[in-house]
Parts: sequence; C-alpha cells; structure tokens
Amino acid sequence: MTAIRTENLSKYYGPIKALDNLNLEVPDNVVFGFLGPNGAGKTTTVKLLTGFSQPTHGRAEVAGETVGESNLKLQSKIGLLPDVPAFYEWMTGRDFLRFIGEIYQLPAADIKKRSDELLELVDLEKAGSRRIGGYSRGMRQRLGIIQALMNNPRVLFMDEPTSALDPIGRREVLELIAHLKESATIFMSTHILSDVERVCDMVGVIDKGRLITVSTVVELRKKYTRSVFEIEFIENSKPFLETLKKIHWLAEPAIVVESGTPVLRVRALDVDRARKELPKLIALSGLTLTRYEMGAPSLEEIFMEIVSNGDKR
Amino acid sequence: MIGIFPLLKKELMEQLRTYKLLIVGVIFLFFGITTPLTLKYLPEIIELAGGSGFEIAIPPPTGVQSLQEYAGTVGQIGVLLAVLMAMGSIANERKNGTAVITLSKPVSRAAFVNAKIIGTTLTFLASLFAASLFCYGYTVWLIGDADLLAFIGNNLLIALFLIFCLAITLLFSSVFRSSLAAGGISLGLLIGQAGLSAIPRIGDFFPGKLLSWGNSLLMGESNNYWAALIITVISIITCLYFSQRFLSHRDI
Repeated sequence: MTAIRTENLSKYYGPIKALDNLNLEVPDNVVFGFLGPNGAGKTTTVKLLTGFSQPTHGRAEVAGETVGESNLKLQSKIGLLPDVPAFYEWMTGRDFLRFIGEIYQLPAADIKKRSDELLELVDLEKAGSRRIGGYSRGMRQRLGIIQALMNNPRVLFMDEPTSALDPIGRREVLELIAHLKESATIFMSTHILSDVERVCDMVGVIDKGRLITVSTVVELRKKYTRSVFEIEFIENSKPFLETLKKIHWLAEPAIVVESGTPVLRVRALDVDRARKELPKLIALSGLTLTRYEMGAPSLEEIFMEIVSNGDKR
Repeated sequence: MIGIFPLLKKELMEQLRTYKLLIVGVIFLFFGITTPLTLKYLPEIIELAGGSGFEIAIPPPTGVQSLQEYAGTVGQIGVLLAVLMAMGSIANERKNGTAVITLSKPVSRAAFVNAKIIGTTLTFLASLFAASLFCYGYTVWLIGDADLLAFIGNNLLIALFLIFCLAITLLFSSVFRSSLAAGGISLGLLIGQAGLSAIPRIGDFFPGKLLSWGNSLLMGESNNYWAALIITVISIITCLYFSQRFLSHRDI
C-alpha cells in the first residue's frame, strides 16, 4: 500500500518555483526522511500534502484520500506537527488534548485515557495541568507531537520534529518515531542528517524545489560509496605509489599526511576491479599493511555531494 | 459545519479565561450604570465642584433621555470594542500558528469562522443584556418611567449592528495576517458607512441606520428602516461566507 503519492505536484509563487513537479511514492509504515537545505521546499511540500496550501498544478494522495480543499476525511486520517507548533497559551496541556479529542469526537473517557497515555509517553504528566504559556520550547514540541497522535493517524507529518530539542529530548523523540512506524507512516522533513541516519527507512533529497533523489538509506550509502581507497604501511610507501601510477584502472594516487601519518590515497576508476585487484597488489609489494579502507562517506557527505551536483544518479 | 461544538466551547472558554467577557462586560456595565446616575446627579455634581459662578438651569432629566444617552454611548463604544475583539481573532491564529494545528483536524473552515463570531457575539449579548438591565433599572428608579418594549427593541437593533461590526472585522481578520491591518480597514469602513448612513434616502440602506431606528423607538416615533435591517443581515452572512472562503483558498 502507498501512504503518500504525488504526481507533478508543484507550487509556484510568481516566478519562484517553491516546488517543481514532485513525483513521490511513500509506502505504508516507513519513516520517510525529507531532506533538504533551508528554503529547499520541505515545508511547502508538507503544507501541500496536508491541504494547507493549494498546488499550482499536479495532485497528491495521502492515506488513500485526494488532497484538496477542506478534505475532512483526509484530516481525520493524518496527524501534523508543524515546524513551530503553537497552542492557545491560556489552555493547559490537558485542556488542549481534550480540545483535540473533542474535535475527533472521541468519548470523554477515551479522551482522558488517551491524554494520560500520551502525556506519560512524552514525560509531561505533571506539566499537563499547567498553562501552556509557561511551557519551554521543548515541552511545546513534545505537546505538539502528542496532539498529532491523538487520533492514531495513518500518516503523520512532522516538520523538523527535533529541531527545538536538547540531546536527551531528541533521542526520546527519535525512539518514539521509530516506535510509531509500526502503526503509521511518518513523513519527516528535516535538515538534521544524524536523525535521518538513525530512524529513517527511506530518504528523499530536495533542493531548490526539485526532488533530487529518493532511496533507502542503505542504497544511498551504496550508491554514493566513494571510490577512494586509503592504505597505510609501516614502511615507506613511495615505491608502491610508483607501482600504482602505472595502473590504468586507478587514478590520482598520492601520499597525504593525516594526523602526522602518511596515508596512500588512490581513486579507483573501476571500483569492482580495484576491490579485487588492489589487495593482491598490496600483498605482492611485500610491505607491512596497517590499514586498508574504502572511503565510506557519512550521510552528510552524501547529502552535500547530492545537493552540490544536483543530479539524479 | 463539522467541528463547530468543540470550537465554540473553546471560544467560550477563551472569552472567560482571557478576561474578554469580563472586560467587555465591565465597560458596558460602566456606561449602563453611570449614564442614569450622571443624569440624575449632574446638578449636584456641578454644585459640589464649586460651580462656575453662573447659574445654569438644567432641566430635570427624563427616562427617555437617559436611555437615549446610554444607547448612543454603547453604540459608539460597542463599535470600537467589536473591532478590537475581532481584529486579531483569525489573523493572530494564522500569524502565530494555532490555526495550523486546529485546521489540521477534521473541522471545516465554516465551523472555525462561525464559532468565532458566535463566541464573541455571546460575549457582547451577555454584556449588553447586563448593562441594559442596570441602565433601565436605575433609570426607572432614579429618573422616571420609560418604555421597556421600546428599550428592548433598541437593544436588539444595537446588538444586530454590533454583530455586523464583528462580522466585517472577522472578514478582514481572515484576509490579513496583521490584526492591525484588519482592525484599521474595518474601522475605516465602519466610520465610512456611518457617514453614508447620514445621507438622506441613500443612508436608509446602511447598517448604521439601525442605531437611528433604535433611537426613534425610544422617542416613540414611527420611523423604521427595514431595508437597512435586511441589508445588515445579508452583509453579516456575506462577510462570514467570504471569511471562510478566504481561509479555504489562502495558505494558512
């Protein structure tokens, strides 16, 4: 089943293309990380998918419902955590959850039970009886998350869910998100790559309103695995460097000094061949190997590469 | 209007907890109580103040005069209060983001707008009722008898006019994110229509004429302005309709 599907979804503000022909499919019960730098079109996408903004053209389906003007069936199936959740300051946390529960027409007893569960989930049981006006930003964020869960949504949209949280709060929210995917699809827009690495099953990268790539995190790593090999020997590696210079499926061999240690770095023009042949060459060199590593980029490096290239690979 | 009841409940709670009901109530009550008191004791007040050296002959006040002065003051203050109360009710929710969370739930835009006007209207009606009760009571007690039915009719016309002021302000509150812009334009339009309602013939079609009608009732005159009443009701409905249409078509 597909939780989110978009076809050429676009939003233009005059000549500015905030979102340009987004074609996306997000399956059920995954955590989808929507990555992009500031101003890439992440919040615009969330607004379009939740019906808060009307597309210039294209269409979208969420939880089997066509996204459009005031589709109340859609609203009953989704949850939304805005980037900066705002509440009625004069309400207490419990008042707010009761208000949301009443909108979903839940019986009073169910509202009370669900509110207690959710407040406990985010460690707000005691603060639940206090006015929201006195909440810290982190507490507001946590209240924002649980108000979006009141109706057990099928698709949960979270716009920068961890941006206002301290490291402990962030860890707890990410654990919560990982737990939630058993019952919901989570569409999480963020620019925090470590969060994506930690909880997301799939990643979409957007920049300047255009979707650049969609993939699983594992595939993304595989796809962007660097073709650079790093080799360290106890002995002087200059003779081996000369050997590598003569090999046509390698390029740019060089010795660089990292933290005072000389490291022989070489780029493979044919990665598969390098994987097979390079260890043999090292063995034949007679040198004492201390490190042999294929450059594994962090998600941040991949992200930077994708965004700077801006191409689909 | 899906979701109207929880939204209305929230609006009523807001009127109470943010002291809006108290503020409007106290202001209306102030004029409801002080108008007949001031009229009755004006000669004594002047005398206590030491007088001006001249003898001023003040005719004894009448019940009608007291109710007329009260109605005139409440009509003017009511317009200001209506604009102040309604100018931020949607604009501020859009600006600070509370509208996003509320409207991400299964509630219609119509319910969102109507809950607001009903909640604020109830505050005004409760305040107007209490103030008018005191005003009439003090007037009859201190000054003299007055036509109760005419006073009720006058209050109903003031109430309808204030609902019109609320509706027009709500409309602009849904158009602009700035409550100041919403309030400024609404107040400008209300002042404009008040000016136009003073023009003979043409003025008979403007909502401001409802206040003149109320005054005529108190004076026992037979003037009536049904066209203004019908246009006011149509204007209220139109403002509410376009308010929710604006909310539906604009980015929240």
